[in-house]
Amino acid sequence: MEKKIAELRERVAKIMDIGGAMALMGWDQEVNMPPGATATRADQMATIGGMLHEMQISPEMGALLEELHSQVDQLDYDSDDAALIRVGWRDYQKAVKVPVPLVMELYSTMPVAREAWRKARSGNAFSQFQPHLEKLIDIELRMAEALGHSGNPYDALLDFFEPGMTYVYIDTVFSGVKPQLVALIKAISEADQVDDSCLHGHFAKEQQLALGRLVAEKLGYSFEHGRLDLSTHPFTSGNSYRDVRITTRVDETFLPSSLMSVIHEAGHAIHSQQGSPTLYRTGLDNYSLSIAESQSRFYENVVGRSLPFWKYFFPQVQALFPSLKGVALPDFYRAINKVQPSLIRVDADEVTYGMHIMLRFELENAMLNGKVAIKDLPEEWKARMEQYLGIVPPNDAQGVLQDIHWSMSPMGYFPTYLLGSMFAAQLWAALLKERPDTPAEVERGEIAPITAWLGETIHAHGGKFTLDEIAERATGGPMESAPYIDYLTAKYRDIYGLA
Amino acid sequence: MQAALAQLKEHLARVHDLLAAAAVLEWDQETFMPDGGAQPRAHQIATLRSLGHRFFTSEEVGRLIEDLQPALADLDPDSDEAALIRLAKKEYDVQARVPSALIARMEETERMATQTWQKARQARDFSLFRPELEKVLDLKREYVSYLAEGAANPYDVLLDRYEPGITSAQIEAVFTPLRAELVELVRAIGAAPQVDDSAARRHFPVDAQMAFSRVVAERIGFDFEHGRLDLSAHPFTIQFSAEDVRITTRVRENFLPYSLMSTIHEAGHALYEQGVSPALYRLGLYPEPLNTGASMSIHESQSRFYENVLGRSLAFWEHFFPQAQAAFPGVLDDVDVKDFYRALNRVEPSLIRTEADEVTYGLHIMLRFELEDALINGRMQVKDLPEEWNARMQQYLGIVPPDDSVGVMQDIHWSAGLVGYFPDYLLGSIFSVQLWDQLRQERPAVLDEVRRGEFADILAWLREKIHRHGRKYTLPELSERVTGGPLAWQPYVHYLKTKFGEVYGL
Repeated sequence: MEKKIAELRERVAKIMDIGGAMALMGWDQEVNMPPGATATRADQMATIGGMLHEMQISPEMGALLEELHSQVDQLDYDSDDAALIRVGWRDYQKAVKVPVPLVMELYSTMPVAREAWRKARSGNAFSQFQPHLEKLIDIELRMAEALGHSGNPYDALLDFFEPGMTYVYIDTVFSGVKPQLVALIKAISEADQVDDSCLHGHFAKEQQLALGRLVAEKLGYSFEHGRLDLSTHPFTSGNSYRDVRITTRVDETFLPSSLMSVIHEAGHAIHSQQGSPTLYRTGLDNYSLSIAESQSRFYENVVGRSLPFWKYFFPQVQALFPSLKGVALPDFYRAINKVQPSLIRVDADEVTYGMHIMLRFELENAMLNGKVAIKDLPEEWKARMEQYLGIVPPNDAQGVLQDIHWSMSPMGYFPTYLLGSMFAAQLWAALLKERPDTPAEVERGEIAPITAWLGETIHAHGGKFTLDEIAERATGGPMESAPYIDYLTAKYRDIYGLA
Repeated sequence: MQAALAQLKEHLARVHDLLAAAAVLEWDQETFMPDGGAQPRAHQIATLRSLGHRFFTSEEVGRLIEDLQPALADLDPDSDEAALIRLAKKEYDVQARVPSALIARMEETERMATQTWQKARQARDFSLFRPELEKVLDLKREYVSYLAEGAANPYDVLLDRYEPGITSAQIEAVFTPLRAELVELVRAIGAAPQVDDSAARRHFPVDAQMAFSRVVAERIGFDFEHGRLDLSAHPFTIQFSAEDVRITTRVRENFLPYSLMSTIHEAGHALYEQGVSPALYRLGLYPEPLNTGASMSIHESQSRFYENVLGRSLAFWEHFFPQAQAAFPGVLDDVDVKDFYRALNRVEPSLIRTEADEVTYGLHIMLRFELEDALINGRMQVKDLPEEWNARMQQYLGIVPPDDSVGVMQDIHWSAGLVGYFPDYLLGSIFSVQLWDQLRQERPAVLDEVRRGEFADILAWLREKIHRHGRKYTLPELSERVTGGPLAWQPYVHYLKTKFGEVYGL
């Protein structure tokens, strides 16, 4: 068995090298690639993406995994080797159903779609992106058919991002929290509003980036193994756990836009950087997206929008931006937690954020099931914005075209943001129980203990466990939404003085 | 034949894309990669390149190439297809004849030797480097033994890897008469009143230098829609396709030409890559695809054409100097364009090849060529290398390095296994002048175009004559096609004597 495991590791190592190369090329396209290079980059992505898939589903790989999987019970369930076999077999069984040419088609379509999205967004013209989105959905539907599903093609795609996740499961969870979010938003809207004018003004780009660097480093992000750049849409890209890069974009008139994005992305990046070195080149350094988003949302919101956090950082921010000198800390804290229905998901507050996700979740499901024609998407978007948040985007750039996701990955990514937010609150509750001094530590600028706890509880495991397995190990129970609602209610009751 | 050709192209597209992906990773490593990312990056590049190698050397590809050979008889030898079939066979044979175990051993040895070279250079101690260099050269000789059949000189096998169709005898026929002329010219210049280059040694802020470099690169034709310019430790050009060609430079704030002339040099390489015919796209031979520059020296002829023949000409600066004055407010106000031109063309025997002027440059190359030939043929021992080096420096340039770090150990090439590569730098310079003479003959008004800052027609001419062909032709073939004759040293000497005779009032 040892010899077979060594062989598996060798095969997987090569596959992961190619995966790392693809990640770097994706980063390059967003950050550095000259615009005229899209077509040839698409060829390259298709070739190496196809090759990666071919290596993943080779008959040798299948035989090796099948044999090892039949003996996996001899190994400790939590060991790296057991996870390598378990996860490898699970992924293989999925991947082997998808033909190589279809994978190549997807990879050659995405870079072009991404460029089209960028142009459509800056030109505010959905019609330029529409044919690309139609083409991608056609490919995604064919992938879903190849993978197989019990009625809803969305399930086949969701499974990529969160193994075992289905539309019905997510719909049940979301339906449970929706009325509570709606009620909270309504109560807040009827309370005295928070004044966030101190966050609007002029905040020079260079200083914003300097602040982002400072905060990211303090949270535990290593610039020795990463870098911070600018891109249209903030993202994190891991070429390996030794090279994890983050990006942001800067709005000089609104302070939190870049800063909170940097904290969000740094959360992702710390997750990767703290992966166990033993998982390097095993594929187990990739983890499900709900787990990923739990970490970014944890740093961004649970830590990054908390009062203790700002007790420590606010003086440093004041030093960088003199316009904040006369602002009192409690006012600043309330300002960065101002709840207000708004157009842009990544800038949304914690309370309305969930509504942005539910809207996308419903539209993805509708698109994949043919219930919405792509050409009608902008109108459908506006109608739901009106219904959920009472506001309507004046144009598509601030509406249906705001997110890069549909141009760069199959549908099914968005719900993981909300699941991740929920899990983040659950983790916070567990952390407070284990280490009640945590808020006091944060006030003193001691964030290392949190990062160490997450490292041990979550990061080190990479993709060895499913969301529920991780939740079980970290919190003693499965993923649940109650702590999330408790967290939001308590926090915003206090900020808005609700009954 | 069409079916076999289509199949072969499909395989080669894969090889091409794998090597292009590896190149993206290499570029990133030199420009943006955080220091901590080196180890995984080495794994990723090695995996991509070895897959490229494996696909190119597969039995299937070998069979297709063999099946296509008879078709050569019916094809127009100038057609893309004929070039592909011809070159694919040549590359395949090399890859197939040399055992892959030897290649692996060479790569490992060269990697170690490069590390040792860095340390030895820092310690200024050749004895540290000597055993490693001996290993590299032993393996080179073993490598040669697999490919030497029919070669008059084993060194020719190595030359052919970088410059197909050129032999050491041909190079000697050019270098020997040229050497006497250069030594004489250097002596004459040394005896004349010296040029003052202090105008180029003022304070030029980094951002302004980068901005000005961009302006110049764009003006001569570099397409930023399909390329970019960044900073790196050593300037280089790299391409992932003709649609994505990237150049780098480095900056010294107190010496303007250091960055500017590097940028123009690299832009010359890049213009070549951006101009390769789209019909050759994705014909991925190993280790170099068909859609890249023909050879080392042709590439160098393009970079030096832009850097020296144009970039260090008076006409060029008659156009750009006012812009340079505007780009560096207050810095060059009191400088006359003629003085600036002379500053850019200061000649002085110096120790370091990469910083040498146009006149002395050739002598640095000849010295290396002679030593390489002697080493590979066993006429010289590695232990005697420093002495031999210093003796030639004295003989050709009249100066002797104070230690080996600025002498025999200044270049990375030998440690990295690049033996047979140096002569191509000079062949490129020589050919660049032949191209210039030909261009002026065909378009007598070209100098006026340069004065007016019009570079589009020059580029169009180079595209037509050189760039679009990619790797289809060798240096002798291109020389014949474009200038109607073989590579010749006389125009080069004439160019240098005229230009520097005027600069130094000889």
